[in-house]
Amino acid sequence: MTSGRTITCDALVVGGGIAGLQAALDLADQGFSVVIIESDLSIGGKMIRLSKVFPTLDCSSCITTPKMASAAHHDNITIFTWCELQSLERDNTTVTARVTARPRYVDEEKCIGCRKCEYACPVLVPDPEQGGFSGTKAIRIPFSNAIPQVAALDPEHCMLCGRCARACPTGAVDYLQQPRQFTVTARTAVLATGFEMTSPGDRPQYGNGTIANVITALQMERILAPHGPYNRVLRPMDGMEPDSIAFVQCAGSRDLSMGVPYCSRFCCMYAIKQAMLLSGALPLADIVIYYMDIRAFGKGYEQFYQTAKAMGIQFVKGKVARLQGLEGGTVAVHYEAQEGEGVSVDNHDLVVLSMGVVPHWSPEGICRVSTGADRFIRTVRPSLSPVRTDLEGVFVAGAASGPKDIVDTIAEAGAAAMAASNYLAAVRQQG
Amino acid sequence: MGEAQQPDQAVKEALKRLRQKRQERIREVAEQVKVQKAELKAIREQLAADGEGATPPRLAEGTGIEVSRVMWYLATLKRYGEVVEGAKDGGWFRYRLANNARQSGGEEQ
Amino acid sequence: MSGSRQRKSDRVGVYICHCGGNISDHVDVEKVRADVERIPGVAVARTNMFMCSDPGQELIIEDLRQGIVDRVVVASCAPSLHEATFRSAIARAGANPYIYEHANIREHVSWVLHGDKATAKAEKLVAAAVGKARLLEPLDPIHVEARRHVTVIGAGIAGMTAARLLADRGLEVVLIEKSPYLGGHAARLDRVAPTGERAADLVSELAEAVLEHAAVTVMTSTRLAGFDGYVGNYDLRVRPVLAGPAEDRNGYVPFHGVVGGNPPELTIKTGAVILATGFRSYRPRRGEYGYGDLAGVVTLPEFIRLFSAAERSGDCLVLDGRTIRSVAMIHCVGSRQIPGIHEEDGDGRLNEYCSRTCCSAVLHAACRIRELFAGTRVHDLYRDIRTYGRGQEELYERASKSGVLFHRFTAEAPPLVEPGDGGETGDFPLRLTVRDGLTFGEEVRMGVDLVVLATGMEAGDIDELVAMMKLPVGTDRFLQEVHPKLAPVETSVAGVFLAGTAQAPMTIGEACNGAAAAAVKAASLLGRGYVELDPFVADVDPALCRGTGDCLQACLADGALEMVEVETEEGAARQARVIAARCLGCGACVAVCPTGAIDLKGWSLKQYEAMVDMIVADIPDNA
Repeated sequence: MTSGRTITCDALVVGGGIAGLQAALDLADQGFSVVIIESDLSIGGKMIRLSKVFPTLDCSSCITTPKMASAAHHDNITIFTWCELQSLERDNTTVTARVTARPRYVDEEKCIGCRKCEYACPVLVPDPEQGGFSGTKAIRIPFSNAIPQVAALDPEHCMLCGRCARACPTGAVDYLQQPRQFTVTARTAVLATGFEMTSPGDRPQYGNGTIANVITALQMERILAPHGPYNRVLRPMDGMEPDSIAFVQCAGSRDLSMGVPYCSRFCCMYAIKQAMLLSGALPLADIVIYYMDIRAFGKGYEQFYQTAKAMGIQFVKGKVARLQGLEGGTVAVHYEAQEGEGVSVDNHDLVVLSMGVVPHWSPEGICRVSTGADRFIRTVRPSLSPVRTDLEGVFVAGAASGPKDIVDTIAEAGAAAMAASNYLAAVRQQG
Repeated sequence: MGEAQQPDQAVKEALKRLRQKRQERIREVAEQVKVQKAELKAIREQLAADGEGATPPRLAEGTGIEVSRVMWYLATLKRYGEVVEGAKDGGWFRYRLANNARQSGGEEQ
Repeated sequence: MSGSRQRKSDRVGVYICHCGGNISDHVDVEKVRADVERIPGVAVARTNMFMCSDPGQELIIEDLRQGIVDRVVVASCAPSLHEATFRSAIARAGANPYIYEHANIREHVSWVLHGDKATAKAEKLVAAAVGKARLLEPLDPIHVEARRHVTVIGAGIAGMTAARLLADRGLEVVLIEKSPYLGGHAARLDRVAPTGERAADLVSELAEAVLEHAAVTVMTSTRLAGFDGYVGNYDLRVRPVLAGPAEDRNGYVPFHGVVGGNPPELTIKTGAVILATGFRSYRPRRGEYGYGDLAGVVTLPEFIRLFSAAERSGDCLVLDGRTIRSVAMIHCVGSRQIPGIHEEDGDGRLNEYCSRTCCSAVLHAACRIRELFAGTRVHDLYRDIRTYGRGQEELYERASKSGVLFHRFTAEAPPLVEPGDGGETGDFPLRLTVRDGLTFGEEVRMGVDLVVLATGMEAGDIDELVAMMKLPVGTDRFLQEVHPKLAPVETSVAGVFLAGTAQAPMTIGEACNGAAAAAVKAASLLGRGYVELDPFVADVDPALCRGTGDCLQACLADGALEMVEVETEEGAARQARVIAARCLGCGACVAVCPTGAIDLKGWSLKQYEAMVDMIVADIPDNA
């Protein structure tokens, strides 16, 4: 096991989601050498976990997997997954990243992705890749499109029974694997660290995550996804096909009391998209979207919204005040309607919360780039070059600098790659 | 390495120490696995008894396991090919055991 | 491709994609697999949930490496999405990437047909692809030199940004602008929402950068007159503009006499083109919210110009000598139009899209009024407030806090603007009536001195350019990218890219990102000094060509075919020769050749015949 090895490249990309992949590809296609470090077990970020994407309704995998594969097979790109960035420093024209590769307890070189370990493992654990709705094993390939196709063991749920090691045809399981340190030195860096969603767990008005059949939008993505837990739309509580589904918009945004005063930007569109997909899967179901303002601002988005209305999806202007679990799994939605009666209650079989979007990563203590009051990475030329941070030679792309949909993220990733390549060219000229 | 080769003494020792260190957690997981085995067994038996397949509420009733947990097991068994979805029954689908399915979780083949 | 009999491959691999249900929800993928596996020449047929994923590609690579297959058919989505993906997978396996045929069983099948019909059609298409694949031969891409030179059309914010970035990257750039000025619409703005930066500062910074850059040639009052060539080697003819009064709507005052006589035409030899032709500000119809009929009804851009010369009377705003006690700002004018509700324009068109930038622009203007002129009341009439971006929601908050009064209307019940009658709404020149959704649909009347219409963006007047360059245009009339995620700044014309609001409404920051994304694609394309083109071009068999020249007559591409003197066994003869880089691969020449001497590589007549044979043949049914 190597320790303290140093890898040198032109550009370091932090984050292997769609922003990082696009930035890496646009740099590598110009002949620059790129290293991607990714905190998860697979590249692909949030996008690879989605069902279909607005406004084209392409399956998300169809768009993401080819970019993942191109990056993974690119001669100029090296990818490290399951890594933690310890520090990112800049000194003159060198960016130095200290990275810890976390143990997978599976030798990456030896694993052939056959999943025999997974089949042999006797421990069932909730699968985070399926919103917790189905079980997986304590050792597993994270999901079917993952890159790399390497198993990882979750030590929290491992009994050290040895069955996976015995089942492995290449002897790849290594219970004793240790974290590994390495260093990446580059001339420039692109931060593409993405976003997370707030959790309903600390939202008393939404039942603190305890009301059955109240799920988050990302969980709904899994229910709608081709590899989803049920392969159809069912209530997780009891497997019933829901007849009435509600979306609660701004469930974590545009409200200082929720800690997210800003607009999370893409929730309107994904709610409309999910509503459309649900209406396709369950043609008889009633689908309601409770909203404050519909923000369908991108190319083709307003038309998408109008199509949803024409399909019979109901849009109710009103702020949801409270959710209440009823007998039999029904959820009562208490809301203040802007039109009609004012305070109203409606019952639904399944409720989807559009949670707030927050940064996935904080540079605090790791990198000297500063953040805004919203905790996203601050950009210093928001109009002329939205990818510039206050640290020279370090650029930002995608949701790391604020919520952004995939289309805007991909454009911005290209812009970050352009800025980084011009920076590289300038540095080279200086010698 | 592979199965043919015996792990050397140092590895054995290290594993032993690791087991020692994680003793508490291993016990908890083993406990969970025991419960899972029992619940899976009950669900499988109920599925086998209901030849036409059973809905999640019916399985919950038959096994005494909470319906959301039954659902979770069904999704898991389906994923590993042990259970298949059957006909619709009211608002629910019936589930039944797949033919020649590999048993997943709970026990080794 | 000689006339000799081709060897038919009997090791075709067929790879059928579920597309995560997109295909398999309608096509019985397993039946297709089982049935096509029995077609003669098919060595193996496999399926995968996502053939384009790494494990899916790995199936193909493994079969090629092990020699199980030597021709590949993938049945999945449209080839425009993933043909390149699968070719590169084949290349990774060490095989020639052109031994590949694509069957589109998603757009052509599962998205339009259901049930048995879908499965049957999928089988036919796959069988046809197999028929062709058996006759595929390895080909080499056409290698052409590329000029490290980019032409940017339009010198607004996006065009100047792209030009500057590419010049910094080491490419030669020509920046063409039809008006006499740099800066486009941004030059006429005051401050940028929500950052508060001065638009003039942004324009100056970019203008100085492009004017001073040694690698950028700026040509103002210039427009495109001709477009010729191919990716890496485009020839653009440009011509100075003799501006007439018709140009007036762009807001500058043109004058004759700058360029006299017959202006010279110039040819620019370039490698790629970036279109940064911008937008046109929506002009309200006469009478739309009283515009053009009632004094005191102006568009937002007009208001911004008036406001830059604002005066004060006590706490009140004074514009053009008129004291503005109360102003109403109406959103979505010329945007978010709905068929059946809004009136179509002269060409029968509606702007159904959202113009994206106006909400923040209106709120910014509203805040400026309230914060500078506390005595002026501001009513904001909106459908949805779309302050989506960073810092924008804060602007909305700021507007509320500064006392802007919000009223919400629906598309079905827009506000009514009428002359004031001095009645209940008081001594105001204008009276506004709106059914306010924020007060449960109560009808609200208000007297105002000024109505500001938040007019949206429309596609620019570039019909000529669109026709000349054969550019794709969307239903919203903006220029259309290949795919919003896979190829967001690429057009269907290779080497022609989109930047900024030519593509869709955008803020300045978004336009700069778009411009930089276009620049990075152009830099990648031209960086190596050469480009590779698909080899699907005409090919002449010298043994059969009798030099009739019919092919030249039929050819649709300028200069793709020429007649040359060649030495044959019977002495000198004239024969046709293909200039591969210019050939469109359309096959018009193939149809007219009297001796069958000309054929298309990768799409030969024999291959077509094989496809047709397979379509009419019975497919063995496994069921």
